[in-house]
Amino acid sequence: MNAPVHITLTGLIVALVIAFAIGSTIWWMLHPPASFVQKLAAQAESEFERLVGSIMVVFSQDIESGHMMALAAKLARGERSELLAIYVIEVPFTLPPDAEMTAEERTALDALGAAETIAVKNGVNIRTEIVRARVTSQSVLDLAKREKANLIILGSFREGKYTGAPLGRAIETIAANAKCDVLIGVEGKHGTLLVDEFGQAAAPGGNEDRQPNV
Amino acid sequence: MPEKKKPELRRSVTPWGSFAWGYSDVGADIFVGLGLVLGAAAGASNVAFLFAGVVYVCIGLAYTELAATYPVAGGGQYFVMRGLGDIFGFIAGWAVLLDFTIDITLFAWACVDYLSQLLPALNTTANPWPHFIVALALVLGLLSLNIIGVRESTAFNGVVSALDIVSETTILTLGFLFAFRPEILIHTMQTSWPSSNDLMLGISLAIVSFVGLESISQAAQETQRPASVIPRTSVALILTILIFALSYSNLALGMQPWHPIPLDAHGHTQALWHWLGNGDNNGKAVALLAQQVPYFGAVAAFYVPVLGAILLLISSNSGVFGSSRIAYAMSSAKLLPSAFQRVHPKFRTPMVSLVAFVGVSVIELFFAALPSLDPAASALYARWFNGESGLGFLADLYAFGAATSYSFVFIALVALRLFDPLSPRKFKMPFNIPVTVRGERAEFPLVAVVGFAGIFAILLFTLKTHPIGRIAGPAWLVVGIIIYLLYRRNKRLPILGSQRHDWRTQQAEILRNAGELELMDEYLANLKASDERRAQAAAAP
Repeated sequence: MNAPVHITLTGLIVALVIAFAIGSTIWWMLHPPASFVQKLAAQAESEFERLVGSIMVVFSQDIESGHMMALAAKLARGERSELLAIYVIEVPFTLPPDAEMTAEERTALDALGAAETIAVKNGVNIRTEIVRARVTSQSVLDLAKREKANLIILGSFREGKYTGAPLGRAIETIAANAKCDVLIGVEGKHGTLLVDEFGQAAAPGGNEDRQPNV
Repeated sequence: MPEKKKPELRRSVTPWGSFAWGYSDVGADIFVGLGLVLGAAAGASNVAFLFAGVVYVCIGLAYTELAATYPVAGGGQYFVMRGLGDIFGFIAGWAVLLDFTIDITLFAWACVDYLSQLLPALNTTANPWPHFIVALALVLGLLSLNIIGVRESTAFNGVVSALDIVSETTILTLGFLFAFRPEILIHTMQTSWPSSNDLMLGISLAIVSFVGLESISQAAQETQRPASVIPRTSVALILTILIFALSYSNLALGMQPWHPIPLDAHGHTQALWHWLGNGDNNGKAVALLAQQVPYFGAVAAFYVPVLGAILLLISSNSGVFGSSRIAYAMSSAKLLPSAFQRVHPKFRTPMVSLVAFVGVSVIELFFAALPSLDPAASALYARWFNGESGLGFLADLYAFGAATSYSFVFIALVALRLFDPLSPRKFKMPFNIPVTVRGERAEFPLVAVVGFAGIFAILLFTLKTHPIGRIAGPAWLVVGIIIYLLYRRNKRLPILGSQRHDWRTQQAEILRNAGELELMDEYLANLKASDERRAQAAAAP
């Protein structure tokens, strides 16, 4: 036969003190003060969260951003950011603003279609937009302001890739005047950028027969 | 040619991991200590725990300060060697080794006791042989696992520790809420106050409930940001264990049991505390207490023995790898022969250390179990050792080893405070007196003096009240010192003196390796300022 239960005020107080003391001790232990290095890391992380709140990926006749789209999608997925892909069709001053530019529009649809595919594959919601403008850089800056973009992602200059020359006028203007952060992705040459100690391009098969450049 | 850098251990132990590392060692102590103290100190068990608890807080603060200042493996042995020299470092380390070997046996024994709650065939009184065989099998099993290199998972330790904390908090909270009666506590304390000899015995056994802080300092070398994390995990561990120990002892003395307590061997009624502290039950007191908590006891009766057994087995395992780690550290410091550093060619584990110290624990297990296995031995123990056997035998030696090593740690702390004041201390024991030593400002720690007085008193209580601890403990130290002297003589190392150490360079490296870059900067700035002061003083007419 069980004994009767006795709830006393002392017992109640002690029980509460035990539960509170153990709980608060463990909580306190698990929250040590941050070190200087950890504060730096936290600051960088909060900067990053601010950086990728809203991402705008820019395509145009001069700007090849296909290779950056996957990166943008992964960033947006990780941080649950808004993703906007725009294609700017530059209309020459010699044509009226609504001039028919079938080939350019077709290219734009292809680029944005590919962007949508990448976004869907990464489980990210994406908005796409084709913009007609006289000057690509200015239209990108205006759009970034309208959309309150935190980050503009650009690829490299379409024609020459990266050869040590400037990135291209449009990209440089955007980078210089944007009120938000700009990420420029210069597509590498996939292994051929590296040169060995003799100034020769590194290639499979060894370099036993190569002579130093003198 | 660039200097080849030694690969360093990756610091992967998180705050919870560090806490769980210590908790899986110290947290298990109350499962053993509660019954032993109730059996010895009776109505003053809470006072015994309070006395040992105050000393334990001082020990905890000392270890916290030392482990945060010198975050290296080696623990007490390293602190004492650095503060007092090689031979004292050896004695402290050797005493810790005794504790680790006892740790293996004591917790394996208690693990079987807890299992016997669900499997009566393992009861030590009724079936001593099965109890002994299972305990021996556990010890040898742990040895095999450690030789093969199967390590317990830190995550598993963390989960078991978390479950245990939740479980113990629930037992105590519900116990106090539904079954605690202050008048029973007062009555028990008034009518069952022990003799002063029993109280001293109880206090020396109560310290058993607080042994294992060494584990956190052993883990310091693998803990992330040790100077910041170790103080928190140590203080949290100290508080958690102290709260549990004081609460359990008061609850046991003042609880109205939910179920009737069985009659004693003479057919008399007995109080809960008396039942928990008798020879049949003192190895599983927490499980029996939990069973007496109204409502919750029905559930606790099934899972607390299992949880206790798991925690005790983890603690036993911490003794296996703790002993091999400390033997390895002592061997690296040239305090023990290099054989203890030798690793198995296939398994890459320190087999010599493992076999040697687990071998010692098997011998201890044999001597602990002997009286229950052989009536002739029982008579012998009754004549020479007050009939101490089993858990009491093991707790004797455990208390001796702990009290000896902790005494040295307190002295080392004072020495390091006075002679190494330039090392930055992110955590300091409170209540210090500013002093100047060799032209440097230092702080004399008052709490260390209180702690030393307390632990030295416990050491004296142990020697006075434990017939086995009085003989076997000092004998262990004498054997160790002989090994040490022969080894140092053989290696032509200073026998009573110390080897040369470049502590300045070592300390900067320790802090850099610990990732405590701000503390390293502070230390280097302290050294520079000290050197400038000395140069100015030397240049002055």
